[in-house]
Amino acid sequence: MKETLFLKNTETFAESMIRCGIRCHFAYPITPATDVMKYTSRMLPEHGGRMVQMESELAVSNALAGYACAGKLGATSTSGPGMTLMQEAIGFMAAGELPCIMLDAMRVGPGDGDIIGAQSTYYQATRGGGHGDYRVIVLAPSCGQEIADLMPHGIKLAMTYRNPVLFVVDGVTCQMTETTSFEEPHDYTADFDTSSWAFTGTADHPKRFLVTGSYTHEQGYEMNEKMRQKYVEISDKEQMWEQDQVEDAEVLVVAFGIHGRMCKDLVEASRAKGKRVGFIRPITLWPFPDKAFENIPASVKSILVVEMNHGQMVDDVRLAVNGRVPVHFLGKTGGEIPMCTLAEMTREANNLLEGE
Amino acid sequence: MQTLADYYGKTLKFDKLTSYCPGCGHGIVTRLVAETIEAMGIREKTMAVVGIGCGGFSHHYLEVDAMEAIHGRSPASAIGYKIALPDHIVFTYQGDGDTSAIGLHEIMHAANRGMPITCIMVNNSVFGMTGGQMSPTSIPGQVTSTTATGRDVAVHGYPLLVPEMMRAMQGVSYLARESVVDVKSIKKAAKSIRNAFECQVRGLGFSFVEVISPCPTGLHLSVPDAYAFAAKETLSYFKPQVFKNELEKNDEV
Repeated sequence: MKETLFLKNTETFAESMIRCGIRCHFAYPITPATDVMKYTSRMLPEHGGRMVQMESELAVSNALAGYACAGKLGATSTSGPGMTLMQEAIGFMAAGELPCIMLDAMRVGPGDGDIIGAQSTYYQATRGGGHGDYRVIVLAPSCGQEIADLMPHGIKLAMTYRNPVLFVVDGVTCQMTETTSFEEPHDYTADFDTSSWAFTGTADHPKRFLVTGSYTHEQGYEMNEKMRQKYVEISDKEQMWEQDQVEDAEVLVVAFGIHGRMCKDLVEASRAKGKRVGFIRPITLWPFPDKAFENIPASVKSILVVEMNHGQMVDDVRLAVNGRVPVHFLGKTGGEIPMCTLAEMTREANNLLEGE
Repeated sequence: MQTLADYYGKTLKFDKLTSYCPGCGHGIVTRLVAETIEAMGIREKTMAVVGIGCGGFSHHYLEVDAMEAIHGRSPASAIGYKIALPDHIVFTYQGDGDTSAIGLHEIMHAANRGMPITCIMVNNSVFGMTGGQMSPTSIPGQVTSTTATGRDVAVHGYPLLVPEMMRAMQGVSYLARESVVDVKSIKKAAKSIRNAFECQVRGLGFSFVEVISPCPTGLHLSVPDAYAFAAKETLSYFKPQVFKNELEKNDEV
């Protein structure tokens, strides 16, 4: 039976992972992600799990790697600078093909930045903050309900491809309190058999060892090539996006997360006035949904990308569009005004409709 | 025909030559760890988490599941593994650079956490794999490739005494510094390693053994001179001793 709860979206992330079978959450306090660990510290013991507060994000992510070695799916949650510190082990987990679920409650700015919510970590999430040719699967829900709805899928992706899966939600959305409906609890992690690779001692398998650095050049080529092929497969099969009113649109608005959610209002209001505006909202940021842009109609005169940063996803849109249509950018970040308003988005879309 | 495996058991792996340099103490410490695992009958549920550096190769010679953790982070990974499989035995095997330079943060918090994992730190007072640079445990006056005129404590600080830093921590159940500079020392080291694993088996808390070891290559000394250096110079600063032994309260092995 479905259950509807009124939760802060950080808590929705926590509640979702508990309901979907995750039993270990490693974390270190950081605004605006901390509510996740407060929630799991209280709720996980009731389900036979625990929140493990480590001494740093470095320790968090490496403990998560150790946990995953045992064939179990753990989780972490962090923001900006914490995400930066975790990159070392995230790259390690990708190289070692170890699954995990992560939340980046994205905040603003480089360096230590500020605690204001933003979408400043698009590059870091999709390009990888560590060295080497690795990829992290990135999901960008736009509201609490979508966090809950995507959790089973995120677990499936993590376990199927044995890869870290990162939820990126801007800090503004994370701090919002919303009504969310949850499906019946189900341990999705138990749907996957890890016995063929987990490091559980040699009682039931010959020695296994995980090396991501000490290989010969030949083995290194094989390892990297195997990963490349996996990423090609993910890129081909796992693109997700939402779109509406694209078929006859003159202006397409492209945004993810909270701005993607605002696109619905923008398009609805524009259509009510007879203005042909549509939207594409990427749900996977890696793989980026190139397929959404393969057959955009000839009616589209221009594309507007809206982000809570200075222009990061706009690069991927331009690559996907490949020069067929002009791509414009609207973005704002920092301080007390971390995001664009609906009025600003509408004004910019109208300007493009009028050919300005 | 009797083979080495018949003599040593299954834990020590003999199917390849070791990558340790001739005379390196790692060969002895790795064997002591293997013999402990074999003697305790815990091979099939043991996980090795090895660091980066020469010690990172130790698992190549052990027939146990293993992971090479990121430089210095082995204790954190071992904690994660132990949480996942509390009935299994997990140990880290790290050098002095891995443990006391880049990984000091992780090892100290692991000790303070008191979770029953075992950490072995092989201290040869120099960065071996990267070519003989100064380690936090290089002794005063020691010439390395980055202290050409010898370690100057006024510039580089003093050698780091890791177990001494841990001794007040209540979560630590076994804490010792040993060496492999001669037969008598090796026997004591074997006993401490066994005690450290025994503490984990009994769930008593965190256990740690630092083992002073020679590095002929990194020290640019002949094998006998490297052993002499470790026995005389290194041990003059790093005094072997058992700092703490919770097994004394419940039947030492």
